Amino acid sequence: MGKRLLTCSVMALLMGTGGLAAQETLTIGVADALTGGAAVYGLPQANSVEMAAGEINAAGGISVGDQTYMLDVIVYDDKANPTEATNAVRKLIDRDGVKYLLGFCCSGATGAVASFIGYEDAVMLVGNAAERSITTQGLTNLVRTRPPADYTGAAAGAFVARQGHKRVAVLGALETSFYASYVEAFEEEFAQAGGEVIAHEVFASKDRDMSPQLTKIRAMSPDALLVVGYVEPAAFAYRQATELGMDIPRYGFTSGSEEQFLRVATSEQMEGVWDLRPTELTLQSATEAGLAYHANYTERFGDAPSPSSPYAYDQAWALKHAIEAAGTVDDTEAVAEALRDLQVFPEAVMQYLPVDGKMFDANGQAYTANGAFQWQDGHWVFVEELPSDPAAYSEFLSSLD
Amino acid sequence: MTEILQQIINGIAIGGVYVLIALGLTIVFGILGIAHFAHGSVSMFGGYLTFFLVVQQGLPLVLAIAIALVTGMVLGVLIELLAYRPLRNANHINAFIVALGLTMMVEGANLQFFGAEQIVIPTNASRVFDIGGLTLPELRLYVILGAAVLIAAMTIFVEETKTGQAIRAVAENRDAAILMGINVQMIPLVVFAISTALGVAAGVMVGSLFAIAPGVGEGLVVKGFAVLILGGLGSIPGAVVGGIVLGVTEALAAGFISSAYKDVIAFIVMIAVLLLRPQGLMGRA
Repeated sequence: MGKRLLTCSVMALLMGTGGLAAQETLTIGVADALTGGAAVYGLPQANSVEMAAGEINAAGGISVGDQTYMLDVIVYDDKANPTEATNAVRKLIDRDGVKYLLGFCCSGATGAVASFIGYEDAVMLVGNAAERSITTQGLTNLVRTRPPADYTGAAAGAFVARQGHKRVAVLGALETSFYASYVEAFEEEFAQAGGEVIAHEVFASKDRDMSPQLTKIRAMSPDALLVVGYVEPAAFAYRQATELGMDIPRYGFTSGSEEQFLRVATSEQMEGVWDLRPTELTLQSATEAGLAYHANYTERFGDAPSPSSPYAYDQAWALKHAIEAAGTVDDTEAVAEALRDLQVFPEAVMQYLPVDGKMFDANGQAYTANGAFQWQDGHWVFVEELPSDPAAYSEFLSSLD
Repeated sequence: MTEILQQIINGIAIGGVYVLIALGLTIVFGILGIAHFAHGSVSMFGGYLTFFLVVQQGLPLVLAIAIALVTGMVLGVLIELLAYRPLRNANHINAFIVALGLTMMVEGANLQFFGAEQIVIPTNASRVFDIGGLTLPELRLYVILGAAVLIAAMTIFVEETKTGQAIRAVAENRDAAILMGINVQMIPLVVFAISTALGVAAGVMVGSLFAIAPGVGEGLVVKGFAVLILGGLGSIPGAVVGGIVLGVTEALAAGFISSAYKDVIAFIVMIAVLLLRPQGLMGRA
């Protein structure tokens, strides 16, 4: 069921337009996981778009010539399910007449929409979904704010090798392709540094008992454990590793907030865990825009934002700047082109690394730095930036079909 | 060898939960002939209620569990009185449909009252015991002990008390039980109260060991029925053996083959057992 949110404010009506410019409403759509296991990523993304739209409206809306557009957001729950996502986007395009689609936290659902979006008079802005192939299909009307999983996995592999580990066991949602691609890139870098991945144990997104896999891993005496997956199963894996007395360094790729982890594991059970991920929102690493985002989100929704949620917030601002640069809301091709030419804007919360001076590369892909975060005394602490080369990766991405 | 023993310990903890679910199902099925599909959802209700009392109301965990157990018993009595009793003399298909409807109603009520978010019941049991190279987390130890106590208590109740004898008499022959002066109107109420309390206990265990979320109860009741069939329909010892066998099989399958196939392997074992013993492990031929 959709949630219609009219975010135009009286203040916005009164200010900025000088009483001369005509004012209209531009409806944008969000398809994201609002319920189910992936809601830990999808709901904060939907909230972020809603918040960004409110801020854009309060700042005077989107100016196109003499027209001013106030944003109106329609949100549908795609449950991170490909069929639901397809239905949600079809409803947005066919019934609601939406041309601009935001959100998209999860790769399976996003991949399904990407498979037909190239034929639509619409622009798709992808958030947290990290499957590489989303930006390798040559879709000119699609951009993504989050870097692909393997871009981060390679940096993580080099980092873990630098810690002196030689034998690492992997436990994760390896049947999900973007987690598998993270591990593949991790393994490649780790092997180049002389390391070996000695186990690939799998859990499903609904699994909550990882003790059989961890028992098997424990018997192999690895130097370290790498956990890749959604926040909740990953948190159970960390918790159950301590319950099995596994006193080895634990690394992960989850992008979960402190609150999300603490719903499952205690701070003591999480102590020392590393999260090797894009340098997303963590207070220690945040810019002024990031700190303001964190404060506003917390005030508005009563919960701290998840680290990956600004990917969607930045989508809304990117869209505003692209529409203004294109000078049209109707010509989606022009807006898509303007997105490709966009420079990183001051409202961006994530710290993007431009390629050729632009926020999105020729594939429509944006890049952030990668970072190593560690759980210390109940908080994710930014420890160091991981080496990231967006230009080289962009070239590699362009070389793929 | 240590790894196998560790996997068996892992399996016994989850097997204990399956036993409690299956016991609740087996006494209802054995005595009233009802496939009580809503048992999993009711079990989740108990877990949600305990979470609510601990996290929202700040009650100590033990007190919250006690309140949830009593509430569960009352709920069980209401379910019997309002949903199943009016259909006692009707065709079995009616009770089957009511059971399905009840599942949706309880699941919907859980969603309405407690929301769609996954919850984990907080406990302070985070110690780890090391016994000869085998590790036993404190929480799993409590789950195993809790399940053992409840199984023993139920066995004693059914075998040693007058009400227990009356329950067995109704299960054996309802008409003869009436002739013996047993209040057969009361027995179903007692059975549902016990069954739901066992389900609530299982819900608390799942909620503290793992997590509760919409849909978890449905998975649990499927496992409960699998245990029921594996152990033998209506057999209390069968439910105990079947639950432990299923839990340990799942753990060994996940540990030595693949977690992706643990349910498949557990059900293959179940089918294999039924081919050799169609009446189940402890059922009567």
